[in-house]
Amino acid sequence: MGGVGRVLRLLWPLYAALLCGQAGAQSPSSAEEWGLERLMSEFAGVQRASARFVERKYLKILDRPLELTGTLEYRAPDHLERRTLTPRAESFVVDGDRLRLEDARGRKRTFALQDNPVLWAFVESIRSTLNGDLSQLQRFYSIALDGGREAWRLSLTPKHPRMSALIDVIRIAGSGGRIDTVEIHEAQGDRSIMTVLEGSP
Amino acid sequence: MTLGGRAAVLVWMAFLAGCAIVASQARFTTDLSAFLPGSPTPSQRVLVDQLREGVVSQLLLIALEGGPAETLSRVSDALADRLAEAPEFVYASNGAQERLQADGELLLRHRYLLSPGVTAERFTVSGLRAALEDDLALLASPMGTLLGPVLPRDPTGELLRLLELFQPEGGPPKREGVWFAADGERALLIARTRAAGFDIDGQERALARLRGLFEQASGAENASGVRLLVTGPGAFAVASRAAIKRDVTRISLLAVIAVSVLLLAVYRSPRLLLLILLPVITGATAGVAAVSLAFGSVHGVTLGFGATLLGEGVDYAIYLFSGGAGDRRFAPADGRLWRTLRLGVLTSACGFGVLLLSDFPGLAQLGLFSITGLLVAFAVTRTVLPQLSPAGYRARPLGRLGPALLALKQALPRLRVLLLIVVALAAGWLALHGGSLWDDRLEALSPVPEADKQLDEQLRRDLGAPDVRHLIVAFAADEQAALETAEQVGAVLEGLRDAGALMGFESPALILPSARTQQQRQLALPEEATLARRIVEASQGLPFRAGLFGPFVQDVASARQASPVRLTDLAGTGLRVRLDALLSERRDAWVAALPLRGVKDAGAVAAAVRDLGLASAHLLDLKQETQALYRSYRDQVLRFALTGAGAIVLVLLVSLRSLRRVGDVLAPLAAALVVTLGVLTLSGDRLTLFHLVGMLLVVGVGSNYTLFFERQTFAGGDPERTVVSATLCNASTVIGFGLLGLAATPVLNAIGATVATGALLSLMFAAVLAGASGRRPR
Repeated sequence: MGGVGRVLRLLWPLYAALLCGQAGAQSPSSAEEWGLERLMSEFAGVQRASARFVERKYLKILDRPLELTGTLEYRAPDHLERRTLTPRAESFVVDGDRLRLEDARGRKRTFALQDNPVLWAFVESIRSTLNGDLSQLQRFYSIALDGGREAWRLSLTPKHPRMSALIDVIRIAGSGGRIDTVEIHEAQGDRSIMTVLEGSP
Repeated sequence: MTLGGRAAVLVWMAFLAGCAIVASQARFTTDLSAFLPGSPTPSQRVLVDQLREGVVSQLLLIALEGGPAETLSRVSDALADRLAEAPEFVYASNGAQERLQADGELLLRHRYLLSPGVTAERFTVSGLRAALEDDLALLASPMGTLLGPVLPRDPTGELLRLLELFQPEGGPPKREGVWFAADGERALLIARTRAAGFDIDGQERALARLRGLFEQASGAENASGVRLLVTGPGAFAVASRAAIKRDVTRISLLAVIAVSVLLLAVYRSPRLLLLILLPVITGATAGVAAVSLAFGSVHGVTLGFGATLLGEGVDYAIYLFSGGAGDRRFAPADGRLWRTLRLGVLTSACGFGVLLLSDFPGLAQLGLFSITGLLVAFAVTRTVLPQLSPAGYRARPLGRLGPALLALKQALPRLRVLLLIVVALAAGWLALHGGSLWDDRLEALSPVPEADKQLDEQLRRDLGAPDVRHLIVAFAADEQAALETAEQVGAVLEGLRDAGALMGFESPALILPSARTQQQRQLALPEEATLARRIVEASQGLPFRAGLFGPFVQDVASARQASPVRLTDLAGTGLRVRLDALLSERRDAWVAALPLRGVKDAGAVAAAVRDLGLASAHLLDLKQETQALYRSYRDQVLRFALTGAGAIVLVLLVSLRSLRRVGDVLAPLAAALVVTLGVLTLSGDRLTLFHLVGMLLVVGVGSNYTLFFERQTFAGGDPERTVVSATLCNASTVIGFGLLGLAATPVLNAIGATVATGALLSLMFAAVLAGASGRRPR
């Protein structure tokens, strides 16, 4: 299935990636009231984080979910890496504005995030969260926060019409400065849930 | 007034009225391709046609700048929406996916006929199984969402294959979902006009509409700081026409005013001024009428030469009223005046006359206009002016002017050594810089200002449309034959690409395969029941829902029955725009063009194409071809210039019957030409073939002035009058051509500057060299 990457960039820039990372927790100064800005500031100090993940995709056209496993890595301020190990090896690496893809057959492609607001929005849902960059996150999403410090849930609703045509909402759940799950609900009804597992790969 | 005289005036009035009627009906054009010759080689004709009529000539490149990317992107969307609705445009895109929907739908509908991936093997159980496994891997990947909606219709991925095929280089970068220059400063759009490239009125309407729509769009988006930049052949043609109009109007007006002021200042008689202008007005009217009758239309640039006609045409009347010829009973001395004038007209006519033979319709028009104008002006001066002026009527130039000019003239021969030094310096300069004096680029003839050219090149780079250097061109009798030929050539090119002789190529047959190829693909598709059975078998053990691929089976079944996709099915899509650039109908043939990318071994490509044995297909190196085209233009003009100069020498020899006297006339001219070239190139300007035409005219026009110096006694033997009238005539000519030299249009500018400098120097040098050969004036 050659050409998909190009389509993504050029002609039908509908589709994007999911990235996640795990942040080392910092102890909060609990005297202040807990909220969005405090949550962000917990992430802001993270320099480096890595974890394993399991993702399940529930697609309407399939009669059972797809399951993927792999590793995630984040380095402040803007390096993000997702490597799928099963069922096929694949990598997805973001550095600044550049996105590099490599599929199971070793084909490599590079994109600029600037070229593709949908893809960019996806990347920022994770990267800006980990970077504690609230203003960047708000550029792409309307944000709602539920729960408390020990069990919180961020709901990101896309602002850009091209993005909202595809994605209803992205829900990121965690505790303290740690991300536990990332759920993506697509406008067509498909959804995926990525669970971040403890510990380094 | 005698009976004969009255008859002459009546005939003149009738002639003028007739010419005025014809001239008033004339159609005016400003198409600058008139200044390219009409009959280059067939492959060069493809180039010229492409410039004039091809889809390339209909594309406007649009840039929006002066705001943050987000604002520019909103204006880009708003403008693209409006362009899509405008009747002046057949296509517009800013790269946004919504605007590529027509293309996407077309490709989806016809994918089994258009995709090169359709083979019998692809639709066997094992072929389908491999496709489904690929699909599954893709669904699992971060880009899986891409496939979801279309997978039930297209498990073999033909749509994606086509999308990749048509975006090999990736197109321009995007921001906020629309095309942007790489630095993010400019949002980019392209639009194709409905009007043909050479329909400048149509292009002008389209541009006006574009500007209006931009105002609306930026107004609606509250983006008042955003600026619109437009380039492209149509925009250039409209701007050139406006520049020519401006040039011609301004120059004609200035020339009339300047020559009138000069004559009034010297002669202080409005009546004399009117009389002097009469022959020119008649000549110009007759010139326009003649061009209109001979060519069917009059080029704007030709009208620009009205100014020069004015400069030269007043000469005859000035001589007439300066000498004894004002008396209608010719004195014996008048005979010599008229002979000299006639010789002057003849040499000028030789200069302009060779232009008549040229393949450049524009230059031929200039020739016809000038010759007609001069001959008519001369005839009117000879036959009508004496009837309209009182017997013995003489111009009385400003009293102080005569003695002053005479003193100057008598002093000038002392500068002979200086002149020799100047000529030697100029010749040395020219010899030193020989090759670099000429501008060998075809673009040098283009009236487009340098800044606009650079913007155009910049936008083309931004849009990722690099200049094509190598191109394979194939001619065929009809659309299908052209596509089949393109397929044959394409097969060879694929081999060459794999062997590394080139990096890639485009072909009309990749966008629209021939009907034969489409039918072969239909034959490769299995029957409905067979396919339904195979897809079930292929998806065993895979997690696809049962019955998911029903739409696929149906689509293949209807593709087997469909009639082949034709050119007309592509209407309104971006693919049609691209196809039209590669496949076009030219006069009696269809032309397929296959642009090549990254050619490393042009020899191998040319040989492989030759080996195909298709007489109609060959490799074009555009860089070489345009250079050859330009050289052939220049050689032609050079031949004409030499022919014209030869004819002038011949006329002088026959009339003067003395090698030495011919030498006296030509020596100042030759010196003037050398110094003129030196002056023109000293400023760093490079010479084009239009300068060459100008040099021919220096010989034709300048010889008038050297002639009068050679025959000094024509004005009734009064040396003051001689020098005043010669100076005045020269001044009016220099004014006419000099004003032309201020024009922005290269053809006017080059000829004007060359002739003005050359004519002025001719007169001065004639004065300096007067009597140089030791013979006293008779």
